[in-house]
Amino acid sequence: MQLTTTPEDETFRTAARAWLAANVPGERPPREGKAAADFTRAWLRRCQQGGWAGIAWPRQYGGQGLPPQRILIWYEEYVRARAPSVLDGSFVALNHAGPTLIACGSEDQKAFHLPKILSGDALWCQGFSEPDAGSDLASLRTQGVVDGDHLVVNGQKIWSSYSDHADYQELLIRTEPGSRHHKGLSWVICDMRAPGITVRPIRNLAGVSHFAEVFYDDVRIPLSSVVGPLHDGWRVAMTTLGFERKTAAMGLQFELGVRIEDLIALARPRAGTALAERLADLRAEAAALRAMTYRTVLREPVTPSDGSMMRLYFAELAQRIFAAAMDVLGPEALLDGAWSHDYLEAYSETIAGGTAEIQRNIIAERVLGLPRE
Amino acid sequence: MAFDLNLSQDQRLIVEAAAALLAESFPLGRLREARQDDLAPLCAFGAFSLSASEEEGGSGFTIVEEALVHTLLGRHLLTTRSLATTVAAAVARSVGEGALATAIASLGRPVCAGLPGAQGILVLDPVPNAAVLVFGDRQLSLVETGAVREQPGLGHSVAVALAGGTGSTLASTDDPARLAAADLLVSCHLLGVAEGARDLAVAYAAMRRQFGKPIGAFQAVKHHAADMAIRAEMLSAQRDMAAIALADRRPDAAFQVAALRRLAPPVALANARACIQLHGGIGFSAEADAHHFVKHAHALSRLGEAASLLDLPSPMAPRQPAAERT
Ligand SMILES: Cc1cc2nc3c(=O)[nH]c(=O)nc-3n(C[C@H](O)[C@H](O)[C@H](O)COP(=O)(O)OP(=O)(O)OC[C@H]3O[C@@H](n4cnc5c(N)ncnc54)[C@H](O)[C@@H]3O)c2cc1C
Repeated sequence: MQLTTTPEDETFRTAARAWLAANVPGERPPREGKAAADFTRAWLRRCQQGGWAGIAWPRQYGGQGLPPQRILIWYEEYVRARAPSVLDGSFVALNHAGPTLIACGSEDQKAFHLPKILSGDALWCQGFSEPDAGSDLASLRTQGVVDGDHLVVNGQKIWSSYSDHADYQELLIRTEPGSRHHKGLSWVICDMRAPGITVRPIRNLAGVSHFAEVFYDDVRIPLSSVVGPLHDGWRVAMTTLGFERKTAAMGLQFELGVRIEDLIALARPRAGTALAERLADLRAEAAALRAMTYRTVLREPVTPSDGSMMRLYFAELAQRIFAAAMDVLGPEALLDGAWSHDYLEAYSETIAGGTAEIQRNIIAERVLGLPRE
Repeated sequence: MAFDLNLSQDQRLIVEAAAALLAESFPLGRLREARQDDLAPLCAFGAFSLSASEEEGGSGFTIVEEALVHTLLGRHLLTTRSLATTVAAAVARSVGEGALATAIASLGRPVCAGLPGAQGILVLDPVPNAAVLVFGDRQLSLVETGAVREQPGLGHSVAVALAGGTGSTLASTDDPARLAAADLLVSCHLLGVAEGARDLAVAYAAMRRQFGKPIGAFQAVKHHAADMAIRAEMLSAQRDMAAIALADRRPDAAFQVAALRRLAPPVALANARACIQLHGGIGFSAEADAHHFVKHAHALSRLGEAASLLDLPSPMAPRQPAAERT
């Protein structure tokens, strides 16, 4: 166990810090809609021009091919420079779709899509959940029927984040007629401009729309857009979820570390003893979250589900931190502001990407080895 | 130079050797007999001078290895004397009392942990002729005490004595680095309690059957167990961060240790509590082992206090203040 950086690592840190100081946009990103998507595209383009595209991607696919310590350094500098949150319209493309294509895609799929992702020309969304298939994702019913060299897709997805302005969707559908559960699914690249697609944005409890329902009415998707073998989509989808829990979370987790510092700065003049104690607890917990983040990328996991402990700890800590912010704000908590908005957004942390209850089941069964229900 | 949180080859060997020794000499079941732990096997292992240099009679490891071993001692609910012995020897060494340090680490001079109470010093797990390492307010003092009077301890299973007065001070320090090292090791014992409670509870949940299946198949039980696992994982990750920062004298060492020391008591206690709950009636009895985790958590939590975390600079401080205030 050692955390010793090399002089080259430190040179990298200095360069990252300097570039970020000069390039991070001064304004807060728009919260929703086309303006938010455009902001994201511009930021990705700027990162690419600066030579920072695809921090966690291999070099051969246009990424930086960095070792774990540089990725950690990058994201620490990134959040400390107040760069745009990594949870925006680029999140799925950079952290799910791209890595999945790298792992399971054909050479043509990689050559076409990966450069577009890094340049900000293609934003992606995820179409997994359905009205009747949430936690029980494998019960999904949206159907793709093979017709010549195409799939004809009918059905509905829901909660698809940033789908209102995305260019592509990673779409999980049932392609083997009569199949059940995780068998007979396929993971396909869906062009969001294909005829037959309707996107209906859904307003969330924080008052903004960044997720949507997506309806598919005889949408024709070429079979060449199936990633991995036909009917083998569950395995491909699990690859995606695996990636999500490693480097993807890093930027978000470090960002929370900066938010608690901001909250402490905000509270200092008003904090009584009880609040100060609570903030100190949260600061300690944020330190531990950072330590867990380091551990997940710098240590061989004991089980592949180790990351689920960090994911859940992050989710619940985020909720505690933003709940404390509401108490710090006092009466102003009732105004729409950065903290109160993020407080409401944080309710999703224990739902999106697998609910807290499901995470606890996974931890108990796969980390601790308790019997399945 | 490495950036890696896997155990090194050496670390793995020490951890495995210590685990084997503890399983052999200090099984949890020993706690059912009201006998004091005999620390001799650990002394032979060199457990009390791991981070002392070889010239000082130690093993030349760092505080990182010491932290790993003390976490294991915590898992086996070793007496607080094991902790006090390591810390007292290090304090003695740091103030130039090399001979005293050697005597302590070789158990020639037994040391108990003590804390300042309203009626005098409370001595934990008292043994004859022991010096007492008092965990004071950001101060560690190794003192001679006069006669001690045994007191009924918490739940009649924590051994406590009251020292009327103190005699001479053998060694004392308020050096922040020394205090941080002590805070780290106290936290390691608390982490060990949290891990041990988790493991005991999980083993019981897999074995105990009700309604025709192991209780561990029920979600309410699973979720308690998952929370125990998360708490222990989070604390052990922070243990690594703090130990490495301290070993390398990094600028954030004080911050990392203060965070760890602040987190450790509630984590240990929460896991100890859940361990009792998951055992049901037997968990409430003095005949099972679960209750010892609660009592150890309370005793360890009293040994010193975390440095004030809000007064220390965070390694995640933003590079410029937030634009908007609300
Ligand atoms: C902000 C946000 C963004 C999202 N973005 C996307 C996206 O981009 N793409 C996408 O495909 N999906 C997305 N989702 C959907 C998300 O993955 C689902 O909401 C989630 O998996 C839960 O499914 P559900 O909403 O159907 O709830 P349900 O599965 O119906 O769960 C309802 C409640 O029952 C509990 N429950 C269900 N099953 C069990 C069980 N076996 N044991 C114990 N408790 C159980 C749950 O924990 C929950 O409390 C997003 C969700 C949110 C909130």
